Amino acid sequence: MKDSTMSENAMPASKMDDLEFRRNIYAAPSRQDKDIIAAQKADPAKKKLAQELCQFDEKLKQAMKVPVPDDLCHKLLLRQTLASHQQEKRKTRFHLALAASVAIVAGLVVNYLQFSSSYTNLGDYALAHVYHEANYFSNNDNTRISLTSLNKKMTTFNGNFNEPMGELISADYCRFDGMKSLHLVFQGLTDTVTVFIVPKAEHLAFADKFSDDKLQGESLSFEHANVLVVADKNESLSQWQNVINDNITWSI
Amino acid sequence: MKIFGNKKTTAQVLDTEPSKNSNSMATKQVRYEALVKALHGDLYRYGYWLTHDKQVAEDLVQETFLRAWRALDSLKDEKAAKSWLITILRRENARRFERKRFDMSEYEEASIIDTQSTSTEQEIENRWLRDKIAQLPPEYSEPLVLQVLGGYSGEDIASMLNLNKNTVMTRLFRARNQLKDALEKEPEKVRIIHER
Repeated sequence: MKDSTMSENAMPASKMDDLEFRRNIYAAPSRQDKDIIAAQKADPAKKKLAQELCQFDEKLKQAMKVPVPDDLCHKLLLRQTLASHQQEKRKTRFHLALAASVAIVAGLVVNYLQFSSSYTNLGDYALAHVYHEANYFSNNDNTRISLTSLNKKMTTFNGNFNEPMGELISADYCRFDGMKSLHLVFQGLTDTVTVFIVPKAEHLAFADKFSDDKLQGESLSFEHANVLVVADKNESLSQWQNVINDNITWSI
Repeated sequence: MKIFGNKKTTAQVLDTEPSKNSNSMATKQVRYEALVKALHGDLYRYGYWLTHDKQVAEDLVQETFLRAWRALDSLKDEKAAKSWLITILRRENARRFERKRFDMSEYEEASIIDTQSTSTEQEIENRWLRDKIAQLPPEYSEPLVLQVLGGYSGEDIASMLNLNKNTVMTRLFRARNQLKDALEKEPEKVRIIHER
């Protein structure tokens, strides 16, 4: 260190000593500083050393250029594509989840509105139900349902009819305010007579007799089910009730 | 009529938003691909000289570019891309050491020698030099690789490695000095390298 300072002071910058030149050229062979070039011009030995080091650097460079895997470039591009695809997917997954949540909530609301009872007692609902389906049945329908097939359906309610109770036009399960019940349509005097066999439910109050300006109805309460008869005002409901009461047997 | 008008403006806003978005996305993609194509070789080689292991170097490069993709918006100057990537790679490499203690001196010479079967004189020489470069202490070989392979100046290297410039120059001097010494100790290699 002392030497180099001394030499620097003793000589102009263009005439750097061997050691300093060596240090410089070894540290950065391709550097083209003024003083380095000047030193090379002044001393052929330094020029030779500089050239040698440049050649050596070229060899080092060749040696350092280890072969790059051919597929690395493609791998990098592919990985990025996959990574951003994952990101996209995560985004769409989030949107999908959001959509699903909205759909579930919407479903629940619809379900609540549709199946929650807006009727407070059996009679109101029964009347509404009959009006709703009035167009599907007429007293003149020719289709008849046999007692056997009626009783097959009655097994759901553990009930059985012993004898036919008139001309049965239709016997089908239906939703009676959300409950699975049996909907029977008989031929009546002037219009159809509808009989519902409905499971006992707490959310609808039992209504013994009900009516509006066109229709009347009566309910019979059995152990497992209520039986409702709805007909127009010409019909004797008590007669129907008696027939049903005599005819029906409940199994356990 | 007014409601309809309102709707239309919302629709227009919605329409321009994603296209803007996808445009910048496409630009980013193009930038990234250009970076990968131009610099993956240099990065890999740098990683190789840092780790002396082809597989680890490849993993490092993959990790580096993945991070680069995520942070691409922070790269403002394309000219600085290479040193930016090298910085990421060095950080990744340091992280690798945090994950598992790995002794640098434990590297196996066998992993350095590449297994190409054809051995021209050039390749023999390259292999010999690679071996010697790999035997340099990492604090010497790292600036040397940055200088020779990366073409960085002493100042650049100093700032990349967080070192004083004089320290870097001294290390570069020592690195070449050691390699030259090694050459001179093996007359056989001196003959091959100098007579060409």
